[in-house]
Amino acid sequence: MKIEIFNLGFRCRLRGGMRGIMKASKIADTCVTYIILIAVCFIFFFPCLWLILASFSKSGSIYSFEGFFPSAYSLDTFKTLFTDTAMYNYPRWFRNTLFIAVMSCLVGTFLTILTAYTMSRFQFGARKTMMKTTLLLGMFPSFMGMIAVYIIMTQFGLINNMWGLILIYSANAPMGYLTQKGFFDTIPASIDEAARIDGATNFQVFTRINLPISMPIIVYTALTSFTFPWSDYILPKLLLKEKDLYTVAVGLMSLGDTEFARFAAGAVFIAVPIVILYFCLVKFMVNGMTAGAVKG
Amino acid sequence: MPNSKVKASMCLMGLGQLMYGQVGKGLLYLAVLALGIAYFVYRGGADLAGLFTLGTREADTWLGIEGDNSVVMLLMGILAVIALLLLAAVHVSNIRDARETQKLLERGGRPATFREDAKQLLDRKFYKTVLFLPILGVCVFNILPIIFMIAIAFTNYGGSIVPPKLVDWVGLDNFVQITTLSQFAPTFGRILGWNLLWAVCSTALNYFAGLGLALLLNKDCVKGKVFWRSFPILAYAVPGFITLLGFKFMFSYGGPINQLITGAGHRAVGFLDIDAKWIARLIGLGVNAWVSIPSIMLLATGILSNRDMTLMEAARIDGATPWQQFRRITLPFVLFSTTPVLLGQFIGNFNNFGVFYFLRGGLYIDGYFLASDTDLLINWLYNLSISNNYYNIGAAISLVIFLITSLISLVIYTRSASYKEEDTFR
Amino acid sequence: MKKKITALVLSGILSLGMLCGCGGNGQGTGQQGTGQSGEGTGQTGSGQDAGANPGGVDLSNIFSGELEKNVTIRVLENDTAIEQGYFQELIDAFNEKYADYGIVAVDANMDQYSNLADDGPYGYGPDVLYQANDVLMKYVEGKHIYPIPVESLECFSKITENAWNAYKATVNGTQYYMGVPVNVQSSMLYYRKDLLPKDWETTWDKNGNQVPDMVENWNDMYKYSKELVEKDDGHYGYMRSLYDVYFSSGFLFSYGGYVFGDNNTNADDLGFSAGNAEIGANVLLQQAALMNEGCIDDSITVSAYSKLADGSYFATMTTPDVYTLFLKELRLAYQAQGMSEEEAAALAEENLVITEVPRLPASGDLTEENPELIPLKAMGGVNGYAISAYTKAPNACLAFVEFAAGYEMVLRRHEMLGIVPARSDVADVVGGVSEIMYHNLDAGNIVVMPSIRAVEQIWTPGQTFFEDLAKDAFRPEAEKKYKSLEDIKNGLASVDVQIYDAVHTLAGTN
Repeated sequence: MKIEIFNLGFRCRLRGGMRGIMKASKIADTCVTYIILIAVCFIFFFPCLWLILASFSKSGSIYSFEGFFPSAYSLDTFKTLFTDTAMYNYPRWFRNTLFIAVMSCLVGTFLTILTAYTMSRFQFGARKTMMKTTLLLGMFPSFMGMIAVYIIMTQFGLINNMWGLILIYSANAPMGYLTQKGFFDTIPASIDEAARIDGATNFQVFTRINLPISMPIIVYTALTSFTFPWSDYILPKLLLKEKDLYTVAVGLMSLGDTEFARFAAGAVFIAVPIVILYFCLVKFMVNGMTAGAVKG
Repeated sequence: MPNSKVKASMCLMGLGQLMYGQVGKGLLYLAVLALGIAYFVYRGGADLAGLFTLGTREADTWLGIEGDNSVVMLLMGILAVIALLLLAAVHVSNIRDARETQKLLERGGRPATFREDAKQLLDRKFYKTVLFLPILGVCVFNILPIIFMIAIAFTNYGGSIVPPKLVDWVGLDNFVQITTLSQFAPTFGRILGWNLLWAVCSTALNYFAGLGLALLLNKDCVKGKVFWRSFPILAYAVPGFITLLGFKFMFSYGGPINQLITGAGHRAVGFLDIDAKWIARLIGLGVNAWVSIPSIMLLATGILSNRDMTLMEAARIDGATPWQQFRRITLPFVLFSTTPVLLGQFIGNFNNFGVFYFLRGGLYIDGYFLASDTDLLINWLYNLSISNNYYNIGAAISLVIFLITSLISLVIYTRSASYKEEDTFR
Repeated sequence: MKKKITALVLSGILSLGMLCGCGGNGQGTGQQGTGQSGEGTGQTGSGQDAGANPGGVDLSNIFSGELEKNVTIRVLENDTAIEQGYFQELIDAFNEKYADYGIVAVDANMDQYSNLADDGPYGYGPDVLYQANDVLMKYVEGKHIYPIPVESLECFSKITENAWNAYKATVNGTQYYMGVPVNVQSSMLYYRKDLLPKDWETTWDKNGNQVPDMVENWNDMYKYSKELVEKDDGHYGYMRSLYDVYFSSGFLFSYGGYVFGDNNTNADDLGFSAGNAEIGANVLLQQAALMNEGCIDDSITVSAYSKLADGSYFATMTTPDVYTLFLKELRLAYQAQGMSEEEAAALAEENLVITEVPRLPASGDLTEENPELIPLKAMGGVNGYAISAYTKAPNACLAFVEFAAGYEMVLRRHEMLGIVPARSDVADVVGGVSEIMYHNLDAGNIVVMPSIRAVEQIWTPGQTFFEDLAKDAFRPEAEKKYKSLEDIKNGLASVDVQIYDAVHTLAGTN
């Protein structure tokens, strides 16, 4: 509705106009765009570059650097990172983290999307109350609750158990459903109605119609629910006591005093799966939605 | 008027359904009841009692006495209460179900078969099926800890009273204590002011920068979007705590930035030291933006792809400038679908523990009661409670903070279009 | 950077899960990183014999003396000990000796700083723990560790009384020993012999004792540092991050300051400003003027390893357990200059000297010529073994502790890890730093940290003050906060107030 009104406004006020200036300004616009882009990318890339180069430092100590970057490079740190596993078993931490993150991502995404969809599409009594409640729950300063989580897990016997972590991550994932609900709210209900008239059940409407056009938000959800367990430190530290079960974040923090290069190498490598995941999923994210066509 | 079968359901869960011949459903209700009773006999009953006593026997490992752990008892007691409530809810639904069947019969229908009921769960009552698991999970891992914390605010748990010592209920003592503390109010006011400023600024910065970046990358003239977009993603991929520690090092006296400054012949700058109130605050803002913008950009990209491009096209043909297109079409659309995100950002930033803890922890500045001038309420809360183990005081303050933040955000949220007019863009 | 990270996160975020009053030591001060520790004299009441237990718990009910058969005991060891291979040697030797009983000691495979009070009650803790004494003594309040019948142990008479004192606790009016000391920790001076002036034997050895004056007293160290700094070529003399309470508070103690009253037991009486503590703080202020801004934050602490190695710093002060780290950096630096690995290792060992901390001028004036000297009372502690009260096999654990604290294992520990033994017989044999430290502990020059819970609250206020003090050396004249001894005294007094607030204001209802 609102959009139509805005749109009308445009039509009235902006009829005719500045087609001539357009071409020149377009080139300027492109230039400015690229300048901003380069600046932004530099801001984001520079600290990462620093970390990456530090991880290839030959000396291992951060204080032998001249200015920002190491003076000599070698691959030794990465070699020790993966081969010297007696004390710091990085490959094992990596496997643990991967397992936890993948499982939590699958279960968590599934639950979040379902919850968001339901809250967006179904009208039932407790709905608004639930929406307000979840909003409020997220607001509680959470670190005191850690004590409770720890005790719950001791009672369930899930300390030193990776499934315990997966359980918590998955159970907490639906709390963030409001974002996804916001997305579903923008999908026209007319699609659903059309399908229902054709005799589809709600379950079918969800799986056959809504899921395919919701790829961007599913990808976003998957990415976040993978990233959070992937880089979380507090929960694994709390629940995994045995060194063999450490995740990368916990393991990196346990590194010795002068292991900076190894720390940097571990920190760089931890980012690799997320970057790969991004490149795999990005096309779904940008091109997945074709709702405009349906609406038109 | 409820008939005898409904009354039977009132007395015994599932009985009415059985009398209607709905065997499957009746047995299911009975099974739930049996499960509930078994739980309460096995441990729930004792847990419930424990909630009131919080333990009567103190443990002594030296004498081999296995005593009560008050904290566990408190938690399990709360769990038992939740279980009781759930059981009651099922009971109510059982009565309601029987009543509905009665009405149906009165209207001349027949009781639904088990198969029909099950089918309903995939269709009209699809939401019930779907929400069951998430709600259960949230109850156990989210609501239970929160109730636990609220309960702690009314006990003397903390200081030297921690298990194996027995904890007790103390009523409102903790609240009385924090309100009567003379140093408390001025510091609270000062920190709250900064905290609100911080939350508003960082939310606005992160949100608009993230959105702006997404729009920038969405422009037609940008070639190689995947490539450009991967830089923020790289930043996103590095775990937050590593980023924060990295930045702390960069801004420290021995860090590379100061090396460049001293190398150029200037004096080293104390970016985060004791005198660096506003510089440190600004650095915090910037670092937090660096950490948060990529994820907002990602989200905004996803949402923007859902935009109705025909509108944009129409506006463009009509000669609307890009700014007008943004102001009138894109922004309302994005604002609408990301109000929850905006709110989530606001809350997240309001309770952002990590930034100043990692960047500038371990300072008590003059004029603040056990806090520094960059500390947010949550950092202060941490100083007061966790580092001295006064969990009870911590819980009480959390409750106060919670009341403030929840009030603010509830008002904002319930007034937002996203909440009131959910179907604006449908 | 790494050390700070570890300490910050450990002391901070981890205490989220702490279910018990037994927090990590040293909130955010970096203490844990080096394994420094405090002391338990706090709980020492009278001089009463800790062995006789009138009205106390009869220890023979816990330790029957009969070894449990076919049990596995999980031992929590220090990371360095595991990394250097000492721990493997220890458990191998132990397992061989007790193979007949089927007793097997294994690595608990947990974080070296894990908190027994969190894990033990739920069955996830180790059976035997090697930790710093102030950490171990915090487990006493909740009886998370067993008292140990130490009189029956072989090591009892060999370990100095002051070390034992760190593990004495009074519970319900009876004294117990809660652990067995193994290793003494305190501050030591590290310096590079090859960075001394070439002619130091004639110009820097007034007393002719073949020890350079600048490592004997702070006045000459000041003079030498000044000489180096005035050349303005990026070289410094003595460098140390001053914000660190563990190292800086010793200067206050030397002039009459203390942490808590009544031998560190009375949290109502705070003594950072007591006596002439401000004189000690002024010494720090004078030292700061000859350092760079890195002394304000942790920059020097973390960079000292490589800066000492590349020759930028002449000396620093830290604990003896990081000796191997300094050595490694220096060896790498020599190797980078083109030496072979053996050559570099030998030269590094020769040139890196670790010695007693220099003595202070009684006047507190570092520019005074031929001052009257007093010893620096440094903060310190004792690391040792304790037995978890949640173990199923206390007797086997006791056997392990006795074995690990025996002459041979402690000697081996010293050889492999460079620790300072708490056993007099080992200290005598190995000499050097160990002997000095042992002597200092005996003479009371090591002020052992209080082990009452309130000690957790001294770090942040203390750190803020020392940071402010160090910063003052770099403030423009007009903005200086500590212009006179009186200003410093007031600053210290406000530290006392802050600690008092932190300890007491919240304890109201308890």
